[in-house]
Amino acid sequence: MIHDETAISIQKVDFYYGAQQALKNINFDVQANKVTAMIGPSGCGKSTLLRMLNRMYDLYPNQHAKGQVLFDGVNILDKETDLNILRSRIGMVFQKPTPFSMSIYDNIAFGIKLYERLSSAQMQEKVEKVLRQVALWDEVKDRLYRSALGLSGGQQQRLCIARALAVEPEVILLDEPTSALDPISTAKIEELLDILKENYTILLVTHNLQQAARCADKVAFFYAGELVEMNDAAILFTKPAQTKTHDYITGRFG
Amino acid sequence: MAIFQSKNRKNNQILPYLFTSLTWCSGALIILIFIGLIIELCWQGRQAFSVFGFEFITSTTWNPVKQQYSAGVSLIGTLLSSCIGVMLALPLSFGCAYCLSELMPRFIARYMTATIQLLAAIPSIILGMWGFFILVPLMSKYVQPFLKQVFGNVPYVEILFSGGTFGVGILTAGLILAIMITPFITAMMQESFANTPSMLKESAYSLGATKWEVMRHVTLPWVQKGVIGGIVLGWGRALGETMAVTFVIGNAHHAGWSLFTSSNTIASLIALEFSESTAGSLKMSSLMALGAVLMMISFIVLFCSQLLLKQVLKSR
Repeated sequence: MIHDETAISIQKVDFYYGAQQALKNINFDVQANKVTAMIGPSGCGKSTLLRMLNRMYDLYPNQHAKGQVLFDGVNILDKETDLNILRSRIGMVFQKPTPFSMSIYDNIAFGIKLYERLSSAQMQEKVEKVLRQVALWDEVKDRLYRSALGLSGGQQQRLCIARALAVEPEVILLDEPTSALDPISTAKIEELLDILKENYTILLVTHNLQQAARCADKVAFFYAGELVEMNDAAILFTKPAQTKTHDYITGRFG
Repeated sequence: MAIFQSKNRKNNQILPYLFTSLTWCSGALIILIFIGLIIELCWQGRQAFSVFGFEFITSTTWNPVKQQYSAGVSLIGTLLSSCIGVMLALPLSFGCAYCLSELMPRFIARYMTATIQLLAAIPSIILGMWGFFILVPLMSKYVQPFLKQVFGNVPYVEILFSGGTFGVGILTAGLILAIMITPFITAMMQESFANTPSMLKESAYSLGATKWEVMRHVTLPWVQKGVIGGIVLGWGRALGETMAVTFVIGNAHHAGWSLFTSSNTIASLIALEFSESTAGSLKMSSLMALGAVLMMISFIVLFCSQLLLKQVLKSR
């Protein structure tokens, strides 16, 4: 396994919602096969940064970014970037579970079908593989062809992770993935992240500091659109270098 | 504080009571008017129903001289023209709604939406005159000959496009109806497009889906309900539309396979014949019975669509 390799390099990035600047001169490297958590008070820009990495902001005409985000040697903020390919390489999971209103099987197959034509046996195999990866297979194998909306919230969120994995990304972006879930489902997803980081680079936005401490290798603290501090989780939570970080993790604000 | 509140409440008991009974009254009034309408139409039409029996619906004769009346022709005309209207309006309004809510810059979309809504405010008689003076000549000169040329040699289909190209007829009526109901269907669809959760769409985009794929697999299933609702609303309006259709349908009591033939609809027939019927005559009674039939069709359409809607929702 490779360690300390940079998967994504964010260089001098600014981000604007219309005229309002949401990110100011962000520089940091995301290491491959690690969980990097981004923490900070609401509106600090952490979700904005996450949504920039798969160019989700392109859907909204008044949002734009400046600077460089190098992924695999290419600046993904370039106009010429093929968004469909980029998004297949950098997957995303959202705040709330977002299963499509189709069967569990089709939810997974949907993403695969965008890229590959598989025979139904191969498809079956692949669906089973990703469902096992997120430890959902045993819970749903008897009702693969029933609506995904019948699953519990935690199951739905794991299904969404499986759906993202099915298109074989290298990086997974998680935008507060457990904020709508109960503690048990949350624990299951956190365990999952620990396993997934062997094969994927994971970026996690979270409001839950304990979660960041539990899951993350690296933690980045954002405040008012700026990256205040970034360090190994153990160091950042015990000996933060900045007073602001200290104030935030001890609950003085945010 | 809590004590004061409970004291105030006791004094005010009459007002909530009044309010509740008033709302009950308005609800009941609607139902009363509704039942009254049905009874009146059936009562006035009883003569026609008793003289012609079930043949009133199945037969196609309309002969004032022999005192023979029936709903057959106009029933077919009504259903056919409204179906054509819905079929033409559906892709048009879907395109409009999708374009307006997903593709266009917001400020242009706002003006476009207003314009489309304005279309709904055009009185039907204006559309009728426009149809008669503009649409009918265009149909007879270009559209109908073109259709004839294209489909004229296709077996089975050719019969739909046979006959003289006079411009008037069922097809033209359907076209006018399509124009009239497009704003309604568009509005309904736009509403449901707007209600599609953006996170759901984003999650499809995040898998690398293209705009088309997101529309096809995520947005479309989500807006199904709104689309069906829009169709029902539009169809309901198309069934009862009178003036615009009267201008362009040709008003002949004639039923044929060709979409170019002049025909009539229940509404247009009633509008034309009403002033020429004396009170208490069999003809007047027949017109009333026609009204009852029209109402019945509207119910059936509404009822079927509700069933359809339930099926769709259940399969979710």
